[in-house]
Amino acid sequence: MKDANKVIGTPVNRIDGIAKVTGKAPYSMDHPVKNPAYAILFKSTVAAGTIQAIDTAAAEKTQGVIAIITHKNAPKLNVKGGLRGGSLLQSPEIEFFGQHIGIVVAESFEQARYAARLVNVTYEAKEPKVDFDQLAKQARVPKDKEKADLKRGDVQTALSQATYKVEEVYETPIEHHHPMEPHATIAEWNGDRVTLYNSSQIVNGAQAATAATLNLKPEQVRIVSPYIGGGFGSKGGQWANLALAAVAAKHVNRPVKLALTRQQMVNSVGLRQHNRQKVSLAATADGKLTALAHETTTHCAINDEFIEPCGDCSKIMYDTPNSLITYRVVPMNLILPTYTRGPGKSTGSFALESAIDELAYKLKMDPIAFRIKNEPERDPSNGKSWSSRTTVQCLQEGAKAFGWENRKPEPRQNERGNYWIGYGVAAGTYPAHQRPTSALVKLKRIENRVMATVELAAADLGTGTYTILTQTAADALGLPVQDVKVKIGDSDLPPAAGAVGSVGAASYANAVNDACQKIIQELVDKSGKQFYVRPTAAQLMHSEKITDYQTRVDSKPLASSEEYSAHSFNANFAEVAVNKSTGMIRVNRFLAVTGAGTILNPKTARSQIIGGNVWGIGMALSEESVLDPRWGNFVTRSFADYHVPTNLDIGQLDAIFINEKDDHVNTLGVKGIGEVGIVAVAAAVANAVFNATGKRVRELPITPDKLL
Amino acid sequence: MRPFAYTRAKDAASAIKLLTENPNAKFLAGGTNLLDLMKEDVERPNALIDISGLGLSEIKTITTGANQGGISLGGLGKNTEAANHPLVRQQYPLLTQAILAGASGQIRNMATNGGNLLQRTRCPYFYEVSMPCNKRVPGSGCGAREGINRMHAIFGWSEQCVAVFPSDLAVALAALDAVITVRSANGQQRSIPIAEFYRLPGDEPQKDTNLPHGELITAIELPKNRFAEKSYYLKVRDRSSYAFALVSVAAALETEGNTIKQARIALGGVAHKPWRALKAEQMLVGKEATEANFKLAASAEMADAKPLAHNAFKVELGNRSIVLALQMALNGGKV
Amino acid sequence: MDENELPELTEDEKQLFADLMPEDLTEIMDTGVNRRHFLKLLTLAGGGLLAAQSAAAEHVLTRPFQEPAPSGIDPASLENAVNVTFKVNGMAHKVTVDSRMTVLDTLRERLNLTGSKKGCDHGQCGACTVIVNGSRVLSCLTLAASCEGKSVQTIEGLAQGNRLHPMQEAFLKHDGFQCGFCTPGQICSAVALLDEAKKGYASYVTANVRQSAGPVLLSREEIRERMSGNICRCGAYPNIVDAIQEVQSGKPVEQVFRSV
Repeated sequence: MKDANKVIGTPVNRIDGIAKVTGKAPYSMDHPVKNPAYAILFKSTVAAGTIQAIDTAAAEKTQGVIAIITHKNAPKLNVKGGLRGGSLLQSPEIEFFGQHIGIVVAESFEQARYAARLVNVTYEAKEPKVDFDQLAKQARVPKDKEKADLKRGDVQTALSQATYKVEEVYETPIEHHHPMEPHATIAEWNGDRVTLYNSSQIVNGAQAATAATLNLKPEQVRIVSPYIGGGFGSKGGQWANLALAAVAAKHVNRPVKLALTRQQMVNSVGLRQHNRQKVSLAATADGKLTALAHETTTHCAINDEFIEPCGDCSKIMYDTPNSLITYRVVPMNLILPTYTRGPGKSTGSFALESAIDELAYKLKMDPIAFRIKNEPERDPSNGKSWSSRTTVQCLQEGAKAFGWENRKPEPRQNERGNYWIGYGVAAGTYPAHQRPTSALVKLKRIENRVMATVELAAADLGTGTYTILTQTAADALGLPVQDVKVKIGDSDLPPAAGAVGSVGAASYANAVNDACQKIIQELVDKSGKQFYVRPTAAQLMHSEKITDYQTRVDSKPLASSEEYSAHSFNANFAEVAVNKSTGMIRVNRFLAVTGAGTILNPKTARSQIIGGNVWGIGMALSEESVLDPRWGNFVTRSFADYHVPTNLDIGQLDAIFINEKDDHVNTLGVKGIGEVGIVAVAAAVANAVFNATGKRVRELPITPDKLL
Repeated sequence: MRPFAYTRAKDAASAIKLLTENPNAKFLAGGTNLLDLMKEDVERPNALIDISGLGLSEIKTITTGANQGGISLGGLGKNTEAANHPLVRQQYPLLTQAILAGASGQIRNMATNGGNLLQRTRCPYFYEVSMPCNKRVPGSGCGAREGINRMHAIFGWSEQCVAVFPSDLAVALAALDAVITVRSANGQQRSIPIAEFYRLPGDEPQKDTNLPHGELITAIELPKNRFAEKSYYLKVRDRSSYAFALVSVAAALETEGNTIKQARIALGGVAHKPWRALKAEQMLVGKEATEANFKLAASAEMADAKPLAHNAFKVELGNRSIVLALQMALNGGKV
Repeated sequence: MDENELPELTEDEKQLFADLMPEDLTEIMDTGVNRRHFLKLLTLAGGGLLAAQSAAAEHVLTRPFQEPAPSGIDPASLENAVNVTFKVNGMAHKVTVDSRMTVLDTLRERLNLTGSKKGCDHGQCGACTVIVNGSRVLSCLTLAASCEGKSVQTIEGLAQGNRLHPMQEAFLKHDGFQCGFCTPGQICSAVALLDEAKKGYASYVTANVRQSAGPVLLSREEIRERMSGNICRCGAYPNIVDAIQEVQSGKPVEQVFRSV
């Protein structure tokens, strides 16, 4: 029997932690299969054109090669099946540099890798569209209706009449997710059913898309994904490599292991696109915003559109009578962009929150006071009430905890040895949603012990899903955590939402809670008794002498949740030290204050937030994927060239959560924290760099050369 | 990676013989760069001769000859061992810092001193075999010359190649006037001053060094010097650690009072070889060790720089970095 | 997830392990008898402790142990095959490998030790870090062929039965990971790092490298620099530093969960 104390809200160690620290957690390529063959993809070396010939003779002759699959002998697949980015070996047309054009399957990895190098491809190359600076002028109105121009009032007039205004362009480069686990699949056929061991943030989505692509029924595809070595959006929508692993396994009639190389990751699984964002702000002399325009120009794939919503924060963060949010997009010969941590909000907040800082400086106002002055009472984009809004609390509590009063309002006033010290602040937001999710709860009693198993096709990509669901079920059922087993990451389990867009915790935890409440109710009903105090599931299993019982729930968001505008909010504080001579920047301290409703586990939640902060610091200071504008290849195609932060790049990180109970957002009041941790991070850092040096860098990343 | 025959060499003589007999063979020591390049299909040896078991890792005081009183580092010693050896830390802290500025703990545990000297450029056009690169395929063109060249050379480049040499260790060795001892097929040892070891790309960028095929680096000799008190290795990069240099500076001073008796300055990340800033050094001799003099010397050196489309910042950064490194050398690592 | 098929233990065998190796029993029940258990049993047998339970002991000792699954590779089909014998987590292995095969791929594809991870395969991330002859190295850039006679320690060899290595405990406590993919490399790197500190090794952030090289108590900044060869994309760095600092200093590092 567990005691009356709840485990939700306590810093339980990660349930999957022991498996992870002992190396026993099986990621995609760790699942044992008998007699696997090894597949390597080979890729186009032009960005646009047509394959004229593929000479595989030399490759076929090498030792160990079992098969080579190209568009000439690949099975017919459904290119509209839901996998992203094309590259399914269905035609000789080349749409981007690094498009998959074939697969070598061999007895060993070494043999496959070698043979893939021997394939000789000739192309009829076309002039690729890859130079964003040139093409941006041709950007068009998006097809996506959600990206249509959004106007309120008259921004132009307000701008032209304003004394205090900022009209600047902010650039964020192409970035790559680069999860530590490269995308990899083991495909194993059993009759007409294929099992795919494949890291999937959306287990059922991966199943549906792969089945449709392979022209199979969903039940013929099983996705197994108990552990995910990071995803950050790139393992949400799935990519061609997943289906091609199944194709290869079928072709050679053996299990096949297909892993992307790190270098192949840059043009296989999406990217965050280059955004050129013009932000225009106007304010009265006393700091009331009169206009806010956020105009984004970006690029998408040559035949498919994806645009991250850079204007989202600008829709809701500040109260202004005149507002304009627009998007323009130009197709390029590049892989389809995709959701990348904090999609739109992380990059959009860099532009918006830098501009807010610039305007506050012009107004000689404290940037916190300026933000609070423009705090909207309701959601300015739709007039709805906030389910809860914590921006002001985040700013004020953060200022207190960070020592904001020590900030010098003017740049270059704070120095320590050969370093300029600067403080910066920025505020952000990310929407909170719950998505339909089913869950199965099974109770088993062995003598005096009642144990529960919770099953759903959820995903844990380091987000803490195993842990928070164990805690949720333990509390709901009245069991100690060690008597709850959570099974996720398998499409054979009840369908669940994806661990994407910060919907995971809310969707999963509420579904598990609903299932647990339902099972207790059913046991109560079954007992035919009336209880003055609602008994726990364990008590009922004992009193009714039940040994096995299970129930399933198909959980949906609260009907009332649509009446409110529900978001997580944060305020970030950065202290940077800039080397006066070299321009090298260190983030000495970073504080993230977050209002995200109920925090199910403060340990995993804190890790999520500081992890987002590390991403944001990388975005601010070092991450950039550079294209050669002549050929469309990435010159930053390895971890040596694409600089994700190292341990030494990260100083002291602190996270504070606002204690709040949001009763409107969902039953448990959970808002999600995976994305909001990166929102408004780059802006806080860039604002701190300005405060330190007086240099306003509007083009990320802020590498040393930009501060000389 | 192409198939290759693997042989564990028993001794230096047989290793050299095996290499000499096969123009497509390579020595395998730490393997940290060679295997990386073989996986990329840039290096394509058909035989690897594993020399990691040959010893040649001793660090000792030189007791005879021109460099008497200096120290000798075994060619096959690990970078970590070199950086942390008491003789090196005491007498050549510049070298310790330079080694520790490079790569990561794991890589330094694997990489050898000789291997470090022979690592290849990290130019992305060199690394991707579908791109033109005169260093990888002579005559194919230089992808970086008109391409993305932010990381590339500002000194000594040619139209054929604008790559930079990535080693940190070698930059310190250049400043310290190290001598590379090599053994050739006839069993003879010869000594190559580091200034003659590396090359500028010219018309033959495929050649990084003047070391012919068939010779083995057995040792690196460091002449005795008086720089131990005042030296500093500064590395400026895009992130704090585990990244190649935008610009690095090995700076060493010998002073009498506040007068500079001798100065050594070498730059990394700016040329096809460690770039010895001789002009700056000469300007400093006999001068007061002041920031103003450091600035004059730095700008005299950097005045000869010829930046490419994306790396003009390296001229200013080089200027500032030379000054800062000299200041730090002068002040025991602080400013 | 399908679990590995494990041979069931007889009641006698369970009793044997419960009596002689109680600390290993849970692991044996969970994951079966492995080589380490086998060796321990042999040691005990050498000490005569098995006499009383000879029947069950004989059964266990003569039963074939879980050998790594054959990879399907016929050594004769390998070009440039190399025979190499090396120890992994204390157990000697003799394998015939393609000369191109790295230690990482040998561990993963031939010895069923999938704890070491392939994050980049080019020495740029540290996920494959293992400890060879006491020092941390990258298994992706080490040829198996070059490991003759060497001793490799992987993440699988750190725990003693059910007792986690202190570094594993500390990573767990301080949440030094999220997705967990880089974790085996981080932990192997951290474990070897302690030895490097004991030897007094310096780093690039060491203020004065000339100072004498006694054992060093690592500051957070020193730990950060020395761990910078292990990339963690989830951004668990501060927690990793907490864990290492706790183990190295022997003093608990406070965990703070703040809310207002």
